[in-house]
Amino acid sequence: MDMKVKRSFVSTGLRVLIILAFSFPVLSRAGEVTFPTFSYNEQELAKVREWEKTWAGKKVTTETIDQVKDFLSEPVYKAMKNPKTFGTDSLWFEVVPYRPYAASKGMTEQTKKYAPDSKLDANEALVNFGKVSGYPFPQPKTGIEMAWNFDGNTRGDTHHVMNEGEVVDCKTRLERHAGHLRWDTYWASRTDLPPVPAIPADQNQRGIFRSYFQRHIAPVDFVDTTMLEIRYLDLTRDEDLWVYTAMFRRIRRYATSQRSDTIDGTDMIYDDQDGWYTSPTWNTYKYIGRADLLVGRHVDNKKAERKTGQGFWNGIQRERANNWAVEVVSKDKNYIYGKQIWYLDPETWQMNFKVMYNRQGELWKTYEMFYDEYPTALGQKAAYMACEHTVDFIRSHGSPGKYTMKGLSLDIPLTLYQTGSLKVKAY
Amino acid sequence: MKKKIFFGVIFILIAVGAVLPRQGFAFYLLGDKLRVKGSLYEFIIYGTNFKKSTNEYRDTNLGLVRTKATLELLYKAIDCPENALNFFGFYRYWYEATPDIDKRYRQSITPYLRRRFQKCNYYSDDWINEMYADWYHGPWNIRLGKQIVFWSEVELIRTVDQINQLDLRYSSPGIDPWDEMKLGLWMLRGFYNSQLPGQLIFEFMWIPDFRPVRTPTEGTFWGGNPGPPTPNEPPYYGQNAAIEEQWIKSRPKRDLKHSSFAARIRGNSEVRIFKTPYLLDWTLSYYRGMNNTPVARRKYLGVPSTTNTDPNTLNGYGNRLANQRLAGDPYTDLPSHRFWNYKFYHIIGGSLQSFVPKLKGVVRGEVAYEINKPESTADAKENAPSYAKQITGSCTRNTVNAGLTYDVPIPVELLRHPKMQWLGANGTLDTSFGYFGQWRLGDVKNVRTTFGYQQKVQTGFTISSRTGLRNNALTPVVRTLWNTRKWGYTAFALAYTPGAHMRYELGYLMFYAKNVWDSREAQSEGKDNVYLKMGYEF
Repeated sequence: MDMKVKRSFVSTGLRVLIILAFSFPVLSRAGEVTFPTFSYNEQELAKVREWEKTWAGKKVTTETIDQVKDFLSEPVYKAMKNPKTFGTDSLWFEVVPYRPYAASKGMTEQTKKYAPDSKLDANEALVNFGKVSGYPFPQPKTGIEMAWNFDGNTRGDTHHVMNEGEVVDCKTRLERHAGHLRWDTYWASRTDLPPVPAIPADQNQRGIFRSYFQRHIAPVDFVDTTMLEIRYLDLTRDEDLWVYTAMFRRIRRYATSQRSDTIDGTDMIYDDQDGWYTSPTWNTYKYIGRADLLVGRHVDNKKAERKTGQGFWNGIQRERANNWAVEVVSKDKNYIYGKQIWYLDPETWQMNFKVMYNRQGELWKTYEMFYDEYPTALGQKAAYMACEHTVDFIRSHGSPGKYTMKGLSLDIPLTLYQTGSLKVKAY
Repeated sequence: MKKKIFFGVIFILIAVGAVLPRQGFAFYLLGDKLRVKGSLYEFIIYGTNFKKSTNEYRDTNLGLVRTKATLELLYKAIDCPENALNFFGFYRYWYEATPDIDKRYRQSITPYLRRRFQKCNYYSDDWINEMYADWYHGPWNIRLGKQIVFWSEVELIRTVDQINQLDLRYSSPGIDPWDEMKLGLWMLRGFYNSQLPGQLIFEFMWIPDFRPVRTPTEGTFWGGNPGPPTPNEPPYYGQNAAIEEQWIKSRPKRDLKHSSFAARIRGNSEVRIFKTPYLLDWTLSYYRGMNNTPVARRKYLGVPSTTNTDPNTLNGYGNRLANQRLAGDPYTDLPSHRFWNYKFYHIIGGSLQSFVPKLKGVVRGEVAYEINKPESTADAKENAPSYAKQITGSCTRNTVNAGLTYDVPIPVELLRHPKMQWLGANGTLDTSFGYFGQWRLGDVKNVRTTFGYQQKVQTGFTISSRTGLRNNALTPVVRTLWNTRKWGYTAFALAYTPGAHMRYELGYLMFYAKNVWDSREAQSEGKDNVYLKMGYEF
């Protein structure tokens, strides 16, 4: 054998070995991750499609609700059976076929990249939180892992929406209207909008994880009131909240320590935003099983309707999804909810709904989030809320709301999230 | 007839609330470029413990029956992210009907002041509370027109927030919103939003306009009683009415040399104290403007003696008026010249606010150092109460004002108990504890102040607390202020917001004071009242 050929053979062999040596763990780790995940496997899906042959396109009313009882959560069934509690004679929804969500390219890449190394520390915090993104545990085994998946759902990383809703006393039929425009940005855990997975430290010296800016458009008393809230990467640090009250023309700092305050008289508390707004480490979690239920995943909110004094939407399109059910108990013994049950979507890890119990263990409220898939500015798709309602079973009260999508994955200037913007962007 | 009109307005407001649609908010015109907002309010005060002396000036216990309309317009002429031009206007008009309903009340107010009190015409442009062009270009924001400035951070107390003065003739802060009590000023105001460390915002103001504070008018509910009744009624006006007329006539002419200037830097800095990160919002400010109350002009001061009755001098006019009041003689008209001068002084101020994790609340502090604040002087040895002393001249003094508040949401287990869920309470008392201090520097013995005469230090404490019931449809509020000189007040209020438009507020205010001359607020002793505000907002 020619020496040159021999050398070439050896060097090529070494290169292959080196490449193999470095790539082995990657291949090995990548092999552990299955993503995207779907609600049903093939056999399950076949059964679902069979069921849908009977029910898809049908209107389920108070009168026919018992026929689909097995696919309804306790509070939705209870509300449907007793529509007068929520200010109407009959409640109804439409059954639509299950449709899987399309995971964005970025979410798929980031999940595959970081999930194999995901682990929790002794305090159940995600190791390397802020430096990784995607769903950390695509095949979760525990409730806390599911909660961290929920936290990893950034829905295109930035959101600009308009939310309008009513605070409804279903007994007196009195309503108060409220509305706001909102801009959200994830500074870390980003999957789609560059830079991923996080905005570089030199542009994020305060260690922000997520921020939102909100401008109220109703009620009249709150028009032009703006809010800025910052959640930090430091999981032990309280959020910072500023409010510019147009009536008083002042920017004031607000305490965020009382997150169980209701939001502007709605049936939601601050922690309820997006299902759970703050860090997953504030609760304990127990996985209680899968729940194949009818939930709103592809909802045309134009079809959502209700009459004055009605606190629960009619006309929601519900499809089956095999949710992950997690029992959530706050580490704060005096927390306003005795426990919550979160129902997490197996594909996007969004919270499809949650049920809240008071400290005596009675059913108190349910918060249903009805989503739709929207195109993002990056040509991908992300699921975001189309409408929602929180209903209070003890007080016959409801807070139905609708969202108008203004854009996902938009390049929102980070300067928006400065206190100087509160006055400037007031109208 | 007038009573019928008054109760008719109330009936209409209640009826409107019952029949109007329960949804709705500001509406838009001209292709959404013009936003229209407004309100119509009826504000009624009913005195509950008039002193016997006050009853001589009243046929009824009504303290206020004011119908007020406001209109807010916002026109977005250019609406681009880097270049925007808006025109903003806040207009108001009111009519105060008590003098029409209560004859003796009407006779207690001089016709000159009553005209200014009953309608929104103290100055000809009073109906415009704000009207300005608002231009944004990159980091710049320029506002030109009549504006209101809010520099205060703490509640119920104003230290650095002295640019716009207040109209205190109808109610007190906390009952009427600040933006309706503050007197707008024509000015040029600019902001530069820098991207320097600390997100610094530079603000400047040039104010070629001046409007002094409007203290309660003599003879009205919040004002002092006029002179003792005479057989020759009307009028039987007192010294305060005369002084208010003199002050109105002493308002400085519109002249660029009477301009005020102000500047402020606002920052937002993170500091670590014992390893805990604090995000501090801070401001540093400077203001050069005219004091809200004037001092005597030396030229027309006259001899500071009770024997001086020359109506062309300030002391003489006051003495003459007192004699005429006692004798029941007709009053002398004010001379054409001004008795008073509004003089400039300076304020250097600063403020700080931050959320403090260990306290689970927000701590705010502000301090204002008033430099060369003009004051009138009097002879400390003169045997007369402070408000009746002869004025000997004027001087300047420095004063330090400081305020500190701690805002904390206090969870109330009782309200959060499952058995109390019917109440729809938010379960939290949003509470603010405040401290206020004032230190008058230098010699104060010869300084003639109507209130707090010869007092160097003032110390006060405030508490305000509110919560939400029935999903915030009901908002109970309590506010209290206590000064260590044993005067103060407590207010209870319950606001009811049943829907999108109607607003109701029922409250009770009670005042106490060991010495009513300790402060302007202490003067309210004996003016306890029940008030009702109801209105329609769109």
